[in-house]
Amino acid sequence: MARSSRFQRDEGTPEINLSPMIDCIFILLIFFIVTTVFVEEVGLEVNKPQASNTTNLDEDKETVAIEITKSDKIMLDGKELELGTLAQRVKSATTRDKEIPVTITVHKNASHGLFSKVWAQAHANGAVNLSYTTTQ
Amino acid sequence: MDRPSLTASQDEETEINLSPMIDCIFILLIFFIVTTVFVEETGVEVLKPRIIAFDKLDKNSVQFAITSENKVVYGGKEIGIGGVAPRVKAAISKGQVPINIQADERADAGVFDRVVTEAKLAGAQIIAFSSEEQ
Repeated sequence: MARSSRFQRDEGTPEINLSPMIDCIFILLIFFIVTTVFVEEVGLEVNKPQASNTTNLDEDKETVAIEITKSDKIMLDGKELELGTLAQRVKSATTRDKEIPVTITVHKNASHGLFSKVWAQAHANGAVNLSYTTTQ
Repeated sequence: MDRPSLTASQDEETEINLSPMIDCIFILLIFFIVTTVFVEETGVEVLKPRIIAFDKLDKNSVQFAITSENKVVYGGKEIGIGGVAPRVKAAISKGQVPINIQADERADAGVFDRVVTEAKLAGAQIIAFSSEEQ
């Protein structure tokens, strides 16, 4: 009888056919392998003061005002200097006053490469209060 | 006897136990699900500046690129500086996300600044630029 044979089958260990599930999981797995990108982006955060929230600077408060000219020259206090010298100047200023504002005034035709190098140099030498502006 | 039974079993349907394999695949699957982030790539190669100090940036961010010809690129298309703000607004409407600018080192600082300004005015709080990993 058909009925009794069905009951008889239950006595043996029942096995679920897992092959379709494996197929599904494989498809998902391949999809996720293909879409995963293992690229680490590195860089630095930039901070630009907005006109609405600028704090009134103390006139007698010391600042480090770095300027990058149109022809990719770094100027500090009106004198041209190298990236390495700049690092020392920033370092000595930040050891005197940790919160000293460091501003980078960059000409709009200067290269981004130099700007990012100056920014990184200032950041690495302890400038916490770091910001930049552009000039025409 | 043991030996004849070995040959006799070949007559029946042989079944491989698949459970350990399924376990392995599940672990792989979960690993890839967890590590996947669906970030829109910029689609252009830029020469990132080599700088002395850098941090690890959040992978799950909105990526803009500025090429050496001062073109602003997003998702493989040139969008211009005016196209930055709407895309930043759309991205942060569901919550704050970091903005990452992959600027070529030969690009103008002025263009970089305008992209930063646009993103900032659109409401982005965390804006970063990419650098080369040394």
